Parts: sequence; structure tokens; C-alpha cells
Amino acid sequence: MKVAYHSPMPPERSGIADYSALLLPSLRERADVQVIRRGRGRQARGADLAVYHIGNNPEAHGWIVEALRRRPGIVVLHDFVLHHLVAGLTIGRRDGHGYLDAMEREGGVVGRLLGHGVLDKRIPPLWESRPADFHLAGEVLDLATGLIVHSHYVERKAREAGYERRIWRIPHPAWQPPPELCVAASQASASGASASGASASRDSTGGYLVGCFGNVNASKRIPQLLEAFARLRRDRPDARLLLVGATSPGFDLDRRLQRLGLSADGIVREGYVSESRLWSLLAGCDACVNLRAPTMGETSGSAIRQLSLGKPLVVSDVGWFSELPDDVALKVPVDEQEVNTLHAALELLARNDVVRHSMGVAAAELARREHDLERVAELYTTVFEQAAGGEAVADAVLGEVAAAARAVGIEAGSPEATDLAQRLAEVELGR
Amino acid sequence: MRIAVCAPQVPFVRGGAEIFADKLVDELRKREHEVELVTVPFKWYPGTRVLSQAFLWRLLDLEESDGRPIDLVIATKFPSYCVRHPEKRVWVLHQFRQAYELDRTDLGQFDESVQDRALRRSVHHLDRIALGEAKRLFSTSQNVAERIARSTGLAAEVLPHPPQELPYRCDEYGDFVLSVGRLDRAKRNDLLLEAAALDPSLRVVVTGEGPDRERLERLARERGLNGRAEFTGRVDEDELAALYARCRAVYYAPVDEDFGMVPYEAFLSEKPVLTTTDAGGPLEIVTNGGTGIVTAPEPHELARAASYLLTHPDEARSYGRAGRQLAAGVTWDRCIERLLG
Repeated sequence: MKVAYHSPMPPERSGIADYSALLLPSLRERADVQVIRRGRGRQARGADLAVYHIGNNPEAHGWIVEALRRRPGIVVLHDFVLHHLVAGLTIGRRDGHGYLDAMEREGGVVGRLLGHGVLDKRIPPLWESRPADFHLAGEVLDLATGLIVHSHYVERKAREAGYERRIWRIPHPAWQPPPELCVAASQASASGASASGASASRDSTGGYLVGCFGNVNASKRIPQLLEAFARLRRDRPDARLLLVGATSPGFDLDRRLQRLGLSADGIVREGYVSESRLWSLLAGCDACVNLRAPTMGETSGSAIRQLSLGKPLVVSDVGWFSELPDDVALKVPVDEQEVNTLHAALELLARNDVVRHSMGVAAAELARREHDLERVAELYTTVFEQAAGGEAVADAVLGEVAAAARAVGIEAGSPEATDLAQRLAEVELGR
Repeated sequence: MRIAVCAPQVPFVRGGAEIFADKLVDELRKREHEVELVTVPFKWYPGTRVLSQAFLWRLLDLEESDGRPIDLVIATKFPSYCVRHPEKRVWVLHQFRQAYELDRTDLGQFDESVQDRALRRSVHHLDRIALGEAKRLFSTSQNVAERIARSTGLAAEVLPHPPQELPYRCDEYGDFVLSVGRLDRAKRNDLLLEAAALDPSLRVVVTGEGPDRERLERLARERGLNGRAEFTGRVDEDELAALYARCRAVYYAPVDEDFGMVPYEAFLSEKPVLTTTDAGGPLEIVTNGGTGIVTAPEPHELARAASYLLTHPDEARSYGRAGRQLAAGVTWDRCIERLLG
């Protein structure tokens, strides 16, 4: 079976490019997968199935939506909120009408009027201020012959948006940590100690090190994290916070640190880092924080890496993060108590080695069991095969059953036919 | 209790699965239960027939019979476990193997077409639903339980069952290796014949009938086995027990077999079993140097192992007796207690 696989690929700096780079070798062991690159749509001809990886970034995914418009297929929906993507495909290409139409489709007249407000710069961009209120996923959902999602959350959102075709939930695959870190982690696990002691990046003071990875901005709840961490530092002056990732434009990190009295000895700052450096930094952490609000429905590749390394997580109680088992993640609701709860979580993990260790063991087990790369590749292959040929199989089975029913005089709409349909539905044969 | 034992029937074919279903009915009846064997013919080709025939089971209404409730159904192998009943228990002999471990092998059924690939996945999906409905799920071996877990995510309790009742005994450790079972490619009797071709002292007796018989007999002729390979065809119970009683060892090396009753039958006759590292279920009870010999699936390795047993009668006896102890622990009393518990 030949699959035309549309995805951003490295060296693009995109979590979805990294995702596909991880998944493809295992997929190719199971199916003839041809990666379609930007501007090379003709390569998709002759494929039995087209697959489109879609996220919210217009730079990385705009061309994939255009390919999807030409040939509907299976969409891997990495984000549910696609407002930024749609804005890029419309306003970003001087197509204001397109944006207004998308807003009207989802929000009716009110949506259209708000769209005018955005075009006229009378209100802030809605993809920044109210993305969850206007997801703008409608067109992509219309074109998707089936959806692959990573979470129940996105599945639920798609259903709420009226999507009626098939949805498959496939966990995000886990990366295999570098071998030297695996050895360190397993030794630490056996001894009940933190794996972080083996890392080159371990805090030289031996103090409690909290890591936060990804863009530094408000939607990652960095202000709340800094406030909670500043409070932690009052009681634990040896605690340090590692912030890894680019600072988003307009987010004044230095001013915030200064206001909270967080100096260089409390904050370790790194920008965009290489994969090997990332693993080393992750391994050095005692706990990792992954906060979001609002969520676009995304899964965090960084959190998946942290699970692989057996790190206890602190996450926002939203979207996919809410679905993490309680024994691997402490969940912080996004409410007026957010900073207090976050502080309590960080304090608990700093204070209690046993909790930290048991959460780490559970995290590594979850990565091994649920996010195993070969398992994920097999689930993908199942979807590919079902999506490409499932309809023909269903038609054939229904045809055989219907022919047999007709032969013994069972009429469509009769109680007997209803009974047959019910039995077929019970075992999901036919459609 | 009123119990319906459900098993598919391939017309004109009778093997271990059929013997097992009959025996289960008998054993339940011995324990004062009212039991009926329910069968439906099964044909798994061409195309989607595997699904439409499986669906026949779904149409059966076994909740009551003649106005009286049926308390329990026990389904055995695909597709009988598609039957619906509020108290459905499944004791899985095997799933539809062509859709699983035999896929993309010489013994597979589904080709690389888009429709066949999807059809295979539909069988998996049907299994997930039908087995998932079971109130209790058992498998005859660890091998089968692991396959179920891999393919459906469901956990089956391992419950091996005793072999057919024969007048098992050990009369001697004779000069031949016995092969028992249906003659199809999956049983790999050709491996045994190739081994015999390499060792002129090795004599083999092959019992059973099946589609592979003609090919096997031709192979024996081509390899010049000249009477060292005897094909008995189907034998009755007394003849089979006598062959077990007189052989030196029993060969049993199908490809990734689910369970297989032959090793238990050999053990009850105090005979060691020759098997291969890829045989699957038999490896749960045949241990190398414990209850038999486990070799690589290569003729020369097998020839060497058979030769060892022929030249070391004390070891053959010791392995066979260890096997007997193991087999004696698998009883119908224990099986039925767990099955109905």
C-alpha cells in the first residue's frame, strides 16, 4: 500500500517535523510511505491514501492545507485550534474575505463582525486573544476523510464541532533517550535515586532543579511559574529554575525576573538548543513543568521526552495534559489559585524524594507502555489499512448479508432487516 | 446449569479443536450439567467470506432454548466467540491465525492489495469486540494469551486442557520417531523427513491425513527414505496409543503453534518430545534436556537431536517421565472448576 505522507520535515524547526522524523523509519517498515515535500504534490499521484499532518503554524502547514484541498484524506490533527493557521492562509496572503468567511462560518454574523475588527486593527488578533472561542478548524474537518488525534480532548472537540467521520486516537510516540542517559536512568531507578546526578548538566550546587522547556511566553504560564518559583526560593534558596527556549516577542522576561527578585543564581537560561543538549538538560532536572492556557489541543513533545527519562511532571489541568495519569503528573488547574497550587506542587516534589521517585518510575513505564514507537507505528498502519480499504470491505460484507436476506424474502425496513442491522452494528461490520 | 458449548465446524475436517469441543461437552455432562454442542459450518474464503460467515454466529439467539434459559455459553475458537450472550465465556483455542501470526507467510491468506490488508484489520477489529464482550476470557496457552494481548489489548487467563483420552502407556523405547497430527504444511513434517534423509539410522512414522500428504510422500521418495518413513494415514485410538507406547520420541514442531495436545499425549506415554525453537505453545512444556529436546528448525539439528535420543535411551526415558509428571497436573476437574468459577 502506497501512502502519500504530507508533513513538515527537519531541518524545519517544528515539533511536528521532529514527530515525523521519529515516526517515519518505523512506518516505512510497515508500508510504502512517500514523504511529500512542499511544492512536490505530484509525487502523491498513484498513492492509495493521502495523509496530512496539520498544526496551527501557517509557515509549516499552509501548503499542507492546500494539498488537502486538492485531495481529501486522513488528517493527523496535532492542534485542534487552527485559528493562527487560517489567519496565515487568509490575512497573511492578503485574502481578508477568506478570513471573514472562515469567521462567519464558525461564529455567524458576530464572528464576521469580529473578523472585520481584526482586519481593521480595532481589536487584538483573535488568534492571540480568543483562539479557543474561534478554532476555525471547520474547513480542515470538512476535508478530512478521517482524523488521527493524540488525545480524547481533541476527539471530543472534533465531535462537538460536528465531525461525524471516523476518528482514531493514537498516542504521541516517545523518543528513545540517548543510551548514556538510559543507563543513568535505569541505575538511578534501581537505587531509588534521581537520574539527574549522572547528567553533565546537573546543577553544580546539587540543589533542586526544576525545568521548563519551550517558548517563553504568557500562554506557557511563565508569569505564574516565575511567581510560584520565587515563593519556593524563599524557603529553598538552593532551588533553581531552568528555562529553555526562545523568548516570544513582547514578553519581557528580564523585567519580570527583576520584579520578583529572581537573580542569575536562581534562574538558568538557555535559548533554542540542539537535540543532544536538550536531552542533557532534561536529564539534569529533578522535575519538569509544562503549563498551558489556553491550550490549542496540542500534545507536548517535550513532556513526552520527560516521560521517557522518568521525570515527574507538573502540568496545567487542561487538554491532553489532563489525560496524563495522576501517578505521573501533578495537575494545576488554571484558576485564581493557580500560583498557590503550582507552588504547592513544586514544594511537594522538592520535599519528598519518595513521591518524586515513584512518579518518575510511573512516567518511564507510561512512556514504555503507551508511547512505544513500534506500537504507535503499528496503530498508524492499522489506520492506513482501514482507511484505504475498509470501505470496500464493509460494502462487500453488507452486500453478502443483504443478498442472503433478500434471498429468504427479508425486505428493507422490515423488523428482520432492523434486527440484522442491529447485529451488524454491534460488531461494527458494515457502516 | 444449562450450557451451550460453541465451536465452528469445517465440514469433513476433524482435528484437535473438534476433539476438544466434544470432550468439553462430555466433561461438563459428567458433572451433571445440561450441555449442548452448538456448531455452524465455517468457510473463510474467498474475500470477505471470513467476516460474513463469522457474522452468522452473531445472528444466533442462545439466550434461551425451548422457553428455558441457557445460563452460560462457552465459545472456543474463531468465529464462534462472535456469539452474543449475557454470560459469554471464551476459552480461546486460537484466533483466525491467517490474520495474525501466519500473515505474510506461506500459510497466510491475505495478499498485499488494499482490500485484503483492510480485511485483515477488520478481523482484528471483530476480535477486539467479540472477545471484549466475554465475561471471562481464557486461553489454552501462554502463547495464545500473548497473541490476544498484542492484538486486542485484552488479558486472557491461561488455562491448558488435558489431551484426548487414550489408553496411554509406555511399552518400550523403540527405534522410531513418531509424528502425530493433521498433515498440513504448518505442522512441518517435511522438516522431519529432511532430517531422516540426513541420518540413515533414523526411522519415522507419520500418522494422520491432510492436504500435505501427497507432497510429503513424494518428498520421502525423492530423498530415498525407502521404508524409513511410514505414512499410516488416520489411525484409531487404540492404534495411536500403541504407536505412542512403542516409539522412542515424538516429533512436534509446527510453526508458532497455539498449544497442541500432542506433547501432552507423548508425555502421558512417557515419551520425550522433539520440537523447535519457533514452535510457540509447545515450548511452554517442552524444555531442552527437561522433557525433550528443543532445536533450531533445521534438518541437521533435528537429525542430531533424534540421533541423541536413539542412542541415549536412559535420557529419553528420563525426559519422558518428567513430562508425565507435568501432564498429570492438567486435569478436567481443575479446568472446569476455573471455567465455571
